[in-house]
Amino acid sequence: MSRCDFKVVLLGCEHVGKTSLVIRFVTCSFNGNAPYQNTIGAAFCAKKMYSKGRDFNVGIWDTAGSERYESMTKTYYRGTHAAIICYDPCDIYSWERLQHWMRELRIVEEDCKVYLCGTKKDIVDSGAAAREVSEETVANYSKGLNGHFLTSSKTGENVEELFQKVVDDCVADLKLMKDVEEHRRQLITIEPVKHKRFCAC
Amino acid sequence: MASTSKDNTNNCTAEQSNVTDTLEPGACSESILNPTDSFEEFASEMSSSLQDRDSSLTAKGSTISEIQSEIGESSKENAQMKNTKSSDDLQSKDGAMSASASNSNLTEQNGVDEDCDNEKDDYLQSPELVNKEKHVFILSSAGKPIYSRYGNEDKLAGLCGVIQALVSFIEEQNQDILRSINTKDCKAVFLVKGPLILVAVSKSNESETQLVLQLTYAFNQVVSMLTLTQLNRIFEQRRNYDLRRLLSGVERLIDNLLVFMEKDPAFLLGAVRCLPLPEKARENITNAIISACNKIRDLVFAIMIAGNQLITLVRMKKYTLHPSDIHLLFNLVRSSESFKTAESWTPICLPKFDATGFLHGHVSYISEDCQACLLLLTVQRDAFFPLSQAKHTIAEKLRRSNCLVAINDALNRNEELPTTNPLKHIGIPEIRHFMYKSKSTAQLFTSDPISLDRLQDYRTRHKEGGDITVKKIEKLSDIDYVRNYRKFCSQIHCTSIPAKLIFRSNSHDTVIAWVTNGFELYVTFDPLMEKDQAIRAVDRLIQWIKKEEHRIFIMNAPTF
Repeated sequence: MSRCDFKVVLLGCEHVGKTSLVIRFVTCSFNGNAPYQNTIGAAFCAKKMYSKGRDFNVGIWDTAGSERYESMTKTYYRGTHAAIICYDPCDIYSWERLQHWMRELRIVEEDCKVYLCGTKKDIVDSGAAAREVSEETVANYSKGLNGHFLTSSKTGENVEELFQKVVDDCVADLKLMKDVEEHRRQLITIEPVKHKRFCAC
Repeated sequence: MASTSKDNTNNCTAEQSNVTDTLEPGACSESILNPTDSFEEFASEMSSSLQDRDSSLTAKGSTISEIQSEIGESSKENAQMKNTKSSDDLQSKDGAMSASASNSNLTEQNGVDEDCDNEKDDYLQSPELVNKEKHVFILSSAGKPIYSRYGNEDKLAGLCGVIQALVSFIEEQNQDILRSINTKDCKAVFLVKGPLILVAVSKSNESETQLVLQLTYAFNQVVSMLTLTQLNRIFEQRRNYDLRRLLSGVERLIDNLLVFMEKDPAFLLGAVRCLPLPEKARENITNAIISACNKIRDLVFAIMIAGNQLITLVRMKKYTLHPSDIHLLFNLVRSSESFKTAESWTPICLPKFDATGFLHGHVSYISEDCQACLLLLTVQRDAFFPLSQAKHTIAEKLRRSNCLVAINDALNRNEELPTTNPLKHIGIPEIRHFMYKSKSTAQLFTSDPISLDRLQDYRTRHKEGGDITVKKIEKLSDIDYVRNYRKFCSQIHCTSIPAKLIFRSNSHDTVIAWVTNGFELYVTFDPLMEKDQAIRAVDRLIQWIKKEEHRIFIMNAPTF
């Protein structure tokens, strides 16, 4: 059983920068020299976050964007509390693929909170690449969702804010918190039993 | 066969056989690896008929479902698992049929290329493609390019069309299989596997069988990402499908695999290299894995590897792994930086174990200060968290029992270890290089373990490299020795008149290749080595391997 209180899943097309976002958030670093490597399957990271006077363990699933893993990604949606769908503002295709994950997510996890995240803000700001997704389109689309952030994993801008908002929203959700408390209680009751079994051998 | 006048092939073994039948270093009655010799398999592949080929790819019983049904307590659970399995397929029907934006881009590009024939002809003469030692192409049976080792496969649509036409002409008109085309200095070897056509065009000294083996590995690499079931279904649904959509990132794996196969004799011999470790340390590692995992029922294999070498393998009773599946795992771990940053959870198909379905793998490095990677493979798709916990328990135990130090010593090739520099340790100065395979356990040991940095010069796609070089080599590296052994290896594995013992001497060196029921041994000596002198040296070498066998081989076959 997971020791994490909240489960967050990152979705989005390949090459939008999901792994960079997670690495920036978890280790506060960014390696601009590393060549691009696609994620194989999915990677799991956990980080302790503080909200409303309490500590929470946040488990983050960084999924592979490759089409090969698409139907596999369903495994990771299951039971997720929040989904961050990433797109690259300078790549219209990555925006069009958003719909796909939206639809999938709604089928598997109806109640999950959904956040939009535009990546590579530093590139957009510097004008090194032309924006292909207009701010207006994004604003219209994100109305029905829980939030939209434009982040840069290179500078770290808005990364902490994005995850803090996700956790704050989860903590504010009474129904969700009831499940979390229940989960914590279960963990406590299971652990000592396990411990005993080890001592016996 | 071209041979120099000094070549001296000796087929008699009677006089030597008494030396070693009693002690076959590394032999073990039970093996973690499936020791089926892949050479015979590829030789039979090459002599198969058209019908044989078509039937060989129809799926046999699925090992994964077998394990699932064994574990499943009630039939209800069983049914549920079957469902899970079918939804495991990476691509749903709808997904496969819907043409995405990226796909239409590709076809447009192809269209442009076809308009200007001249330009395409020029491309075949471009430095990206000319003068390479070995090309590998993969295309669909409809002739669509999927992979090219060099250059841009988009621009090779014309060439792929020609390959497809050649293959299908021989099949349809002559009811036969096109296997190879030989010119003065070049071999083209063809392999049709399911819906794919694989071609190697080589100027190296590799035999046809060895090239077929490499093409089969490339095919298995594709299968390991998709499963055979899915690969077949995709092309049944749409013969014209552009498979590159599903293989993004896999080109890199195939690139690396091809270089890996040229350098590491493990592929040539169908054996796995083990990390030399003190017997006690390996035992501790194995026990740590067993005690942390024996409560997890769905776990099929726990494999620890480091630097393309096996540390230990614990398995579910009844099941073993084939060396070629382990090679694919080595290649996957070696080629994927992303495993280093976080714990990964990924579907993996092991084609020899079960080509029809996925195992689910928890993949992670033991710790930041130890480059050993642990793979926990299960049939249960929701097992991430129990496996993650098991991994932390294992890592903790290994740290406390000093096993991490032992692994690092072996990886960094600590000078004090006898296995780090075996030739110096054995003390026979005439031996320049050797490689030894224990047949019953399918494990390998060489005098100069391919070091990690040596493999780091993996050539990347579209980059320079792979050209034929004519410069004279001053000092041979282990890779050059392996190149030399290729010819001996194919003589020994020749299906019509296999040689048992080869002694060959020329102005460069003296080579002995010797095969018995228990082992295969290849040794390079200085030139001017007398036959009896060489035989005596080989005896001493074998005695040394026997003495160190518990360190260099895995001599047991642990289960959960």
